[in-house]
Amino acid sequence: MEKGYLLLSDGTCFSGRIFGNPSICCGELVFNTSMTGYSEILTDPSYNGQIVLMTYPLIGNYGVDESWNESCGINATALVVRKLYEGPLPPGRESLQSFMARQGKCGITDVDTRSLTLHIRNYGSQNAVIFPQSMEAEARKVLASFPKITERDLIDGVSVKKETPDPDLGEGFAKCPDADSPRVALVDFGIKKSIIENIYRRGLHVTLLPPSFKASDVLDKGYCLLFLSNGPGDPALLQGAVNEVKTCLGRIPVSGICLGHQIITWALGGRTVKMAFGHHGGNHPVRDLDTGKTFVTSQNHGFMSDRSTLPESVSIWFVNANDGTVEGLYDKSRHVRSVQFHPEASPGPQDGTWIFDSLLEDKA
Amino acid sequence: MPRRNDIHHILVIGSGPIVIGQACEFDYSGNQAVKTLKEEGYEVSLINPNPATMMTTPGIADHIFLEPLTTDYVEKIFQQVGPDAILSTMGGQTALNLTMELESKGLLEKYGVKVIGASIDSIRKAEDRGAFKEIVSSIGLESAKSTVVHNLEEAKAARREIPLPIIIRPSYTLGGMGGSIANTEEEFLPLVEHALEVSPAHEALLEESLIGWKEFEMEVMRDSKVNAIIVCSIENIDPMGVHTGDSITIAPIQTLSDKQYQRMRNASIDILRAVGVDCGGSNVQFAMQNDTDRMIVIEMNPRVSRSSALASKATGFPIASCSAKLAVGYTLDEVVNEITGQSVSCFEPALDYTAVKVPRFELEKFPLPASALGTQMRSVGEALALGRTALEALNKGIRASERKFEGLVGLDRDKNDVDTLLRCAHPLRLQAAYTVITEQGESCLNEISKVTGFDRFFLSLLVEQADLDNRIRQNLDEELLLQAKQAGMSDKRIAQLAGLSACDVEEMRKKAGLKPSVHFVDTCAGEFNALTPYCYTTYGEEDEGEPLGENAVAIIASGPNRIGQGLEFDTCCTLASFAFRKNGRKTIMINSNPETVSTDFTSSDRLYISALTAEDVIGILEKEHVKDVVVQLGGQTPLNMADELEKWGANIIGTPLSGIDATEDRGLFSALVKKLGLRQPDNRMAGTPGDVFRCSHEVGFPVLLRPSFVLGGRSMFIAYDDAGLAEFFEKSGVTISPQAPVLVDQFLEDAFEYDLDAVSDGQNVYIGGILQHIEAAGIHSGDSASVFPPYKSKPEILEQMKQWALRLAREIPVKGMMNIQFAEKDGKLYIIEVNPRASRTVPFISKASGVNLIECATKVWLGQNLVKQGLVKPGQDIAEGHCITGWAIKEAVFSFDRFVNVDPQLGPEMRSTGEVVGFGRSFGEAYAKSQNGAGNVLPTEGKVIISVNKKDRKTIVPIALALQEMGFQIAATRGTASDLFDQGVLTDVVLKTHDGHPNIVDMIRAHRVALVINTPMGFHSRRSDDEIRSEAMRNKVPYTTTTSAASAAVEAIKYLERKEYIVRELPNKY
Repeated sequence: MEKGYLLLSDGTCFSGRIFGNPSICCGELVFNTSMTGYSEILTDPSYNGQIVLMTYPLIGNYGVDESWNESCGINATALVVRKLYEGPLPPGRESLQSFMARQGKCGITDVDTRSLTLHIRNYGSQNAVIFPQSMEAEARKVLASFPKITERDLIDGVSVKKETPDPDLGEGFAKCPDADSPRVALVDFGIKKSIIENIYRRGLHVTLLPPSFKASDVLDKGYCLLFLSNGPGDPALLQGAVNEVKTCLGRIPVSGICLGHQIITWALGGRTVKMAFGHHGGNHPVRDLDTGKTFVTSQNHGFMSDRSTLPESVSIWFVNANDGTVEGLYDKSRHVRSVQFHPEASPGPQDGTWIFDSLLEDKA
Repeated sequence: MPRRNDIHHILVIGSGPIVIGQACEFDYSGNQAVKTLKEEGYEVSLINPNPATMMTTPGIADHIFLEPLTTDYVEKIFQQVGPDAILSTMGGQTALNLTMELESKGLLEKYGVKVIGASIDSIRKAEDRGAFKEIVSSIGLESAKSTVVHNLEEAKAARREIPLPIIIRPSYTLGGMGGSIANTEEEFLPLVEHALEVSPAHEALLEESLIGWKEFEMEVMRDSKVNAIIVCSIENIDPMGVHTGDSITIAPIQTLSDKQYQRMRNASIDILRAVGVDCGGSNVQFAMQNDTDRMIVIEMNPRVSRSSALASKATGFPIASCSAKLAVGYTLDEVVNEITGQSVSCFEPALDYTAVKVPRFELEKFPLPASALGTQMRSVGEALALGRTALEALNKGIRASERKFEGLVGLDRDKNDVDTLLRCAHPLRLQAAYTVITEQGESCLNEISKVTGFDRFFLSLLVEQADLDNRIRQNLDEELLLQAKQAGMSDKRIAQLAGLSACDVEEMRKKAGLKPSVHFVDTCAGEFNALTPYCYTTYGEEDEGEPLGENAVAIIASGPNRIGQGLEFDTCCTLASFAFRKNGRKTIMINSNPETVSTDFTSSDRLYISALTAEDVIGILEKEHVKDVVVQLGGQTPLNMADELEKWGANIIGTPLSGIDATEDRGLFSALVKKLGLRQPDNRMAGTPGDVFRCSHEVGFPVLLRPSFVLGGRSMFIAYDDAGLAEFFEKSGVTISPQAPVLVDQFLEDAFEYDLDAVSDGQNVYIGGILQHIEAAGIHSGDSASVFPPYKSKPEILEQMKQWALRLAREIPVKGMMNIQFAEKDGKLYIIEVNPRASRTVPFISKASGVNLIECATKVWLGQNLVKQGLVKPGQDIAEGHCITGWAIKEAVFSFDRFVNVDPQLGPEMRSTGEVVGFGRSFGEAYAKSQNGAGNVLPTEGKVIISVNKKDRKTIVPIALALQEMGFQIAATRGTASDLFDQGVLTDVVLKTHDGHPNIVDMIRAHRVALVINTPMGFHSRRSDDEIRSEAMRNKVPYTTTTSAASAAVEAIKYLERKEYIVRELPNKY
């Protein structure tokens, strides 16, 4: 393995060894505290444009199986680990290294990830570049001119271009229901397969709509529900989608997860703000304000609803039990429900899968 | 939910004496629980007869009772202090069983006491294997094929359904006691029979064998609102077939995909819900078939456990304290995470390191056949190591277990049958695998995995180590040195491989600027700022620690529990930390033992989980800019490195090293004794086997043989003749040389032995107390019942002891703790040994005398002499404590029942694992309680067999008469019977073991004997004495070897006959 570096835009530099496909990779560096699930994380489209740092030091231990993929391939820009596992694997599994190489993605191992994590915690998420030793000059140039995440359109590459009914999720996932049942209009901003699977499992059909959808594509088309998916990047950039959702409010039930929740926040009249380093991991406690119960969730977001901007008509459904941030909303009169965390888990704890029942409860 | 207001006063049940499978982890959890409940404003009572514990320290609970854990005594506590709730989940299986018994006797209802923690119903469901299995299948999970049987007929029927090998687990026993694996048809029924015998319910579970499967454990917390979190997941490196307590384990789980892990996580939470654990911590164990998704639920414990202590230390999440809060009504989201101070306890800890636990075995004391590990726990302690990589933690963990391995090292094929070890569940199996890998390389990995059940992932760590070793052998450069240090290798190990000295490697390391860096254990992988300084060291990464600086003092604790060095020392270390902090000094605790109170991060200002070697400790001292080091309190472990610490520049607090040497080195010690005009048994130093024979004849038989620098009397031996000497060489495996000589002591047969614990400032001595042993000399002091104050001694002998102690303390000079062992024979006092450190008995004496000796020693170190402390009156030089209740008797507790093939014979080598105390106003009360607490049931009726030597024939008469008067039938062997008859005591006559049948042993076996009084008949009848003792122990028949113990028993029986069950509350302040 070739020697390489990870350079942050504030000038901090860490050394390591490059694996996968050695190249210059630039993106926003975020850390994820999940101890398992690197496959699901790398293939989660919400990580498009981001370099993922795994805080758990041993990564690759159990290899990779394509049936775990949350999309058709790796979406994260690059991967940073303390120690990549290179030993033998159970039969049928591919090594992480080989998977990354095959997908043309680059990773860096032997990095002091603890120090890097503390740095991000203290100074916030920022752009970074990973590069092999030989490409330093070029890498510095790339980093210097690289746009901030709040300036990047990251959705285009990870979403459908046209309406797609009943997508096949492939091996390892549930199939579309056979029965003639209601159909959900699901706007794809970079959706995880597990979300679709959860909808299928509840006996509903799905049509994926592109992010450029119009309200007219949804209303009076026989859909029972408008569902806004997760996805990468800053929701503030998606005012087009926000306006279409606004038009739909009150005319069809609307639900959303993660980026979908943030778009709903805007559509309801609220705002989102960027967090210092976000929530990325599988151990975040969320309190249900209706029941007082708390459960552990899988999370991946760098932006959040700004509670102070929410209109009075909107109720807070969930809050983060650690920092009190908004984790879910509802507006009963207009049949709107959304969550910031990931009830589909994958990876992470599945304590919140029941939320799909609520998200899909109101049907037109 | 707010805290419960319907309860006000909670009784916490401790776990009693340390036995294998139930050790100081319950002191840790109980201690946390008591503290937490008090902070919440409850009145807290505590019952635990174990005097070594931290939890029974005055000031910890409101009402402290060191009384036997039986319903009679608990009922008295109900009457006396009136608790309205009982917390049953902190004292291991013992506390659960006691709670169940209180319930079934109707005592909880009678006194209106509520059970908090786990409900009676959930305990029943989790413990009853049949019911548990039903629950498991009702929620769609799988158990191993199994059946519960109550007799051999049922077992035979079950055998037709379940294929061999079959695992046999008796119900309601701790640490899997009595469990076994039947591999063949022949073994099957006898093993079932044994299991039925040891189960209090005469019930055993026969189960499909999952041997070789992967094994996992989940630590779950649940609250009254049914919120649940996983605190820690643990993977056993040793596969199924080795008891979890005996397995090398790693946290978090390493080899499961997220899909598999989440399935296991869901299953754990579902099980807790189904069993109905209302609130608190529980653990669930799983097996998973290699390379498939077949997952089997093995068992769950509805209480905190050994693994929850481990999980607490591995993650920083205080399970016991959180459990206690949940038990009184709080929910997880209301309990603030103590480490971050920002997150709530509903947060699942995220690790950014791995934690490896390595069990500690006493192979020397309890030798195992090659295949000895199984479903029954055999290890006596454990060490924890944290590292950024699995290999780092593994190397450190092996080193920390203090089994003389410098991390992963190959086994010497000449001394070890590596191929057999590989095929058996053995403590050295991982090292056997490593040995083969170093020889054959990576290619053998799949084959080894198949044979051993070790997952490829773990074997690949061994490959990595073998590769590192090879590269170090070839050319050690700075980059490689960093890699080696990052892999957790010690300087010593690197030096061995590179053909250098450890100093060379250290030098090279310094030149390269390679220093350990400090990382915090923060429960959140760096996401939040940690408030609580719990640290470990690693290499090649950025340092996070701000040094505490020279104001701080480092306390080196005692490492993994072993026989002779355990909980007592840990309590001393914790008490010292408290005392230093009370007096304005900051403390740094360094320890590798995850079971302890000292490794609770609230016990010190900074806690390091670290192997206790000079290199590791010096690394920490350098980081912290700390010079002051306490080495007196952790037993032998810190003393062993004291030399190196001083060379480095540490300031050894208290007694100087030269003083320690003067007592540890036998030659110097003899000189010291001579100089001070004291007396010790005649002794010689032998540097060759020939010398041993010559010296023995000079000293005169019997002789006591002991190697230098040992703790707990390891390899000590009493020889009565040349044949005995030969046996010593054969059995002990001691290599003898002029550098490691053997001491040949005159053995004082039938002498009385004493333990004296004192604090000195170098001028004055405060004697906490003098303990007299009930058993005669020759039984290790740790194994002997001891009485405080001495019950059978002349005042002038006691006075002499004090004077000798003063002379020694001034000469050495002792600053801090001192323990002296004396023997008295024929009115003459002998000094056996002096330990210029805290002894096992310090916590006991402190509690019994009401003076915290450790705090006194700490104050001495801080410059307050004993006169200033008010302990010694000016000009009097010496003072002495007294027993606050009148009498306190300490009894040793053994774990022989775990080792079917080990002869439960007592001797100069310590074998006991724990101790209990009996407090009383009368000697009889104290002795009865000590026996009761230790599980020895003294009879109040039945047959007593007496067989005593000529010397004892007079003293036995009043004892026999008293027993007869109390209604006992007396039987005696011929000689004894005839002498008793002459004195007017009429007895039955019973045959000795070699006089035919039925003899004493037959009668014991037939359960027709209630008490045996058998004093040694001298060397020639040693074997028959041994036989009687072994049989009595196996059949749980009380047995005394001295007339003094017999008369103690008589006193105790008198107390028992009154059925008073007096409970004595200890003062709640020192």
